[in-house]
Amino acid sequence: MTSSALTRPGQRERLSEKLSEIDWRLALVLTVIAGIAGMILYSAAGNNWGPWADKHLIRYGICLIAMLGLSLIGLRYWFTAAYPIYALAFILLLAVPVIGHSSLGAKRWIGTSAFQIQPSEIMKLGLVLALARFYHGLTSREASLSWKLLIPVALIGAPVLLIARQPDLGTAILIALTGFGVMVLGGLSWRLMTAGTLIGAAAVGPFVMFIMKPYQRDRLLTFLHPEEDPSGKSYHIIQSKIAIGSGGLLGKGYGLGSQSQLNFLPEKQTDFIFASFGEEFGLVGCIGLLALYALAVAIALRIASISHSHFGRLSAAGVTVTFALYVLINAAMVIGLAPVVGVPMPLMSYGGTVMVTVMVCFGLVEAVRVHRYEEMPSGRGSLL
Amino acid sequence: MSLEPSIFFDEVNERQGVFHRRTFILGGFAGLGTLALIGRLTDLQVIEAARYQSLSNSNQFNFRLRPPPRGRVLDRNGVELASNRPNFRVLYRKGEAKTAKGDHSHVEAMIDKVAALIPITDQKRASLLREIVNAPKATPIALANDLSWDEFTRINVRAPELPGVSADMSDSRVYPFGGAFAHVIGYVAKVSAEDVAKETGPDGKQDRLLLDPGFRIGKQGVEKSLDHPLRGVPGGQKVEVDSIGRVIREDPAGDIHAIPGKDVVLTLDADIQNRALEVFGEDSGGAVMMDVRTGDVLCMLSAPSFDANHFVSGIPGPEYRALADYERKPLLDKALTGTYPPGSTFKTMVALTALENGFDPKHTFTCGGSFAFGNHVFKCDKHHGTLDLHQAIVTSCDVYFYQTALFCGPDKLAGIARHFGLGQIFDIGIPGQKAGVVPDQAWKAKRFAKQGKEAQRWWPGETPSMGIGQGYTNINALQSCVMVARLANGKKALNPRLIRSIGGIEQPRGSNVPDLPVNPDHIAFVRAAMADVVAATVANATGRQAQLGLDPIMMAGKTGTAQAHNYGAGHGAHGAQGAWSLRDHAWFVAFAPADDPRYAISVIVEHGGFGGEAAAPKAREIMRVALLKDPEVRARIERPMPMPKIDPGVPLDGAAPPPPEDLPGAPAQGPSGQQLQNPVVPDPPA
Repeated sequence: MTSSALTRPGQRERLSEKLSEIDWRLALVLTVIAGIAGMILYSAAGNNWGPWADKHLIRYGICLIAMLGLSLIGLRYWFTAAYPIYALAFILLLAVPVIGHSSLGAKRWIGTSAFQIQPSEIMKLGLVLALARFYHGLTSREASLSWKLLIPVALIGAPVLLIARQPDLGTAILIALTGFGVMVLGGLSWRLMTAGTLIGAAAVGPFVMFIMKPYQRDRLLTFLHPEEDPSGKSYHIIQSKIAIGSGGLLGKGYGLGSQSQLNFLPEKQTDFIFASFGEEFGLVGCIGLLALYALAVAIALRIASISHSHFGRLSAAGVTVTFALYVLINAAMVIGLAPVVGVPMPLMSYGGTVMVTVMVCFGLVEAVRVHRYEEMPSGRGSLL
Repeated sequence: MSLEPSIFFDEVNERQGVFHRRTFILGGFAGLGTLALIGRLTDLQVIEAARYQSLSNSNQFNFRLRPPPRGRVLDRNGVELASNRPNFRVLYRKGEAKTAKGDHSHVEAMIDKVAALIPITDQKRASLLREIVNAPKATPIALANDLSWDEFTRINVRAPELPGVSADMSDSRVYPFGGAFAHVIGYVAKVSAEDVAKETGPDGKQDRLLLDPGFRIGKQGVEKSLDHPLRGVPGGQKVEVDSIGRVIREDPAGDIHAIPGKDVVLTLDADIQNRALEVFGEDSGGAVMMDVRTGDVLCMLSAPSFDANHFVSGIPGPEYRALADYERKPLLDKALTGTYPPGSTFKTMVALTALENGFDPKHTFTCGGSFAFGNHVFKCDKHHGTLDLHQAIVTSCDVYFYQTALFCGPDKLAGIARHFGLGQIFDIGIPGQKAGVVPDQAWKAKRFAKQGKEAQRWWPGETPSMGIGQGYTNINALQSCVMVARLANGKKALNPRLIRSIGGIEQPRGSNVPDLPVNPDHIAFVRAAMADVVAATVANATGRQAQLGLDPIMMAGKTGTAQAHNYGAGHGAHGAQGAWSLRDHAWFVAFAPADDPRYAISVIVEHGGFGGEAAAPKAREIMRVALLKDPEVRARIERPMPMPKIDPGVPLDGAAPPPPEDLPGAPAQGPSGQQLQNPVVPDPPA
């Protein structure tokens, strides 16, 4: 409050002022992670810039500029756009089964071959924005325990079901957990939290038995008994563990990871890039990399907590939860602590979609920081 | 809802406070998650690192099979009978290109590209395509063998553009003499699915060699029975491979060297064997020669033969059918597998049995061309007049032996015959021997056990036939040779030996055996008669055509003409008349030198007609090679002729010397003074 009072009117609207308010430490951490990814992709391609490292770094550069651009957008605009973005994502999700095209037995994409979008990625941002927007207008008592909580449950549940039916279990779980995280941060009562957790846990059994597709069940069983079928469905996880384990304390050395260099490690450039990294840089490298991710999460949460508006807090924290879940789930999957669910390592895994999503999310986080003093509408009653 | 500022303010602070607390809690959870990840990473990368490192190494490094050169097969003088030659070939390794199942367009494209460099016929192309599609992923397939150097370099230069294709050099089996040893040595051929199944142990392990495209497995003869010693132990070329098996780098320091297969030395003599094949020409039959002192088999031929080399790369169907369908059966081993009635060669056994049972060799029978026994008339091909045992052997008089056989009875005949190896299987190290039949009463009872008492009984009328080597009696050429080798040795129950050494380790000799339970004098009597068969000093002697023309070395032998077709005893198209498949089998068994036996031979000419005409000249020609190669015998031949001695030249100082009037001048033994020094052949020094 005090610092807000010390600025001259209009000062915060100046570009130079906004740029100085951007958290450059966060941008630096993200750039370091993307740079490491470029290095690994260069090594995995047999010391070639193509086909991955060059594109990855160019994409990151574009996304970084986009992130900085997004960080200049006032929080009010984000606030205003929250429900429309959610609605757009929801409509596109509804459209996927109708006009989407399938790849590998799942319909996740819409658009032409030149420009494809994955509505579930838009939903990641849209849901966080919509929830933050909604909680912005809620009292702490309502957020803790009231009938109004049925609205966020519906906001979360509807897209999760649609995405799970595509089927894209990994994204569905990610979005569900993110939504739950925002509800918790919003002030959900401990009793409801416990009840929700218990209901969720109890639903796993029937879900696995009756709703899961056979290939999803296979993945789960593979996770539980990876040694049963070493050349088939468990091949990924076994080779990934061999890659990481053989890295040892200090790793085999940059460019010397035989598992990834000789293609024993499948998806070494996408979902299993963490294993490529672990093979070449060992435990020390892995801890260092995880520390970088932790640092990024810590900075982002710090930004969320200094925001003056509830919308800013919840939206920044929400997308940070998404980001942290990405990292935790992917790392756990690669080292055999979680089933293979097809969640990439953000900023590391080669692929444009996740890069865009994550960098837009960090654009939001930076926008929250830059506009942390911005006065927001009360938000009450607009969706009640 | 009330909007009083104070409440609103508290509200805001409370929301913010909850958010801050919960952000800490959530951050704590994330921290715990990260710690769990680090714990797991420590487990993998520190505690279990060694295990995963070895798993990673076994992923990374592979041992490419280095097939060992197959052991050679040599004759007794070190002549290569089976060896290896370099084979420039083109290999294709699957798995380099990933395509949908059932889509073989890339394989076809690859074959077409290779076909642009080396000739591949349409037929070959189709079979290759089938082979490649059906082959397991790890198995390389040979696209072409026996390239010229030009073709080899052409492929090598273009190999980088042909994924999965490589040109290399391997060994290919070659049989320098083609057909001469085809039945003894056999041949190697491609590994069949049954071979793999047979070689797969109960644990599912198998010799990796079996999957090598250049590897050939022994299918017949020595190649089959000694396949494992000949094979050797494969080595490995240490290579770094990627996940689809492509070689990235070689590591020569880590190579394991192949251990070559063991050389096998046979007792055969390539010169004798080749001559034997030559003298048979188009005739069908077999010849076996043994060293009388050691039991070593010097020659074991089956004619007509086939070129074993054609089986190595896979014999084309039409060629195989031609071999299989030819009435003279080139694929059948007539020395071991074919059994024939011994005919008159069996009379040596009859005479010996009679002598052993107290028959007086001076006893005479009169031959009027036939012998009536019971209600049957047994015929003889000539009117031999009155003769004793010696003369009966020399002229091969059937009438005499009908009655001698009746004197002995079937059981005693069979007993002696078996002592001399007839009806026996010998452990000579190669498969395919047929025992044949040496009948006696017990055999007949067993053979016709299902047909009732009358059929099981030995009828007296069956004994005369047995006396001339007809009836049930059936032997193979090896047994026949063992018989005459034991007669010539005179003492020992000599066993044939074919495998002299394996990998330099000498195999047991055939002469390390007990003595025959037969009076050596009786054997000597038979030998003397056999000498006269060839010497032809007696009218009607049957073996004149076996005279060697190598004075003073003479051959002793016995002819045999065995009915191949049952016309009833003594009837029908005897001899060399009529359709080939109905003609008699011609036998000649012999040993030489007659006075100091070294070599025994048995020749069977299938449907050859008379033994003395069809078989004896062949035996003579084969024997001549053996004798002329023997330095001691050669020395005797080349020695200036000494003064003739008064000694009448009774061949062997046996108990039953033939009447001197039957051997005027005894030219059979020649003027040499040495012939009586070794009446019974002594063992050579072991």
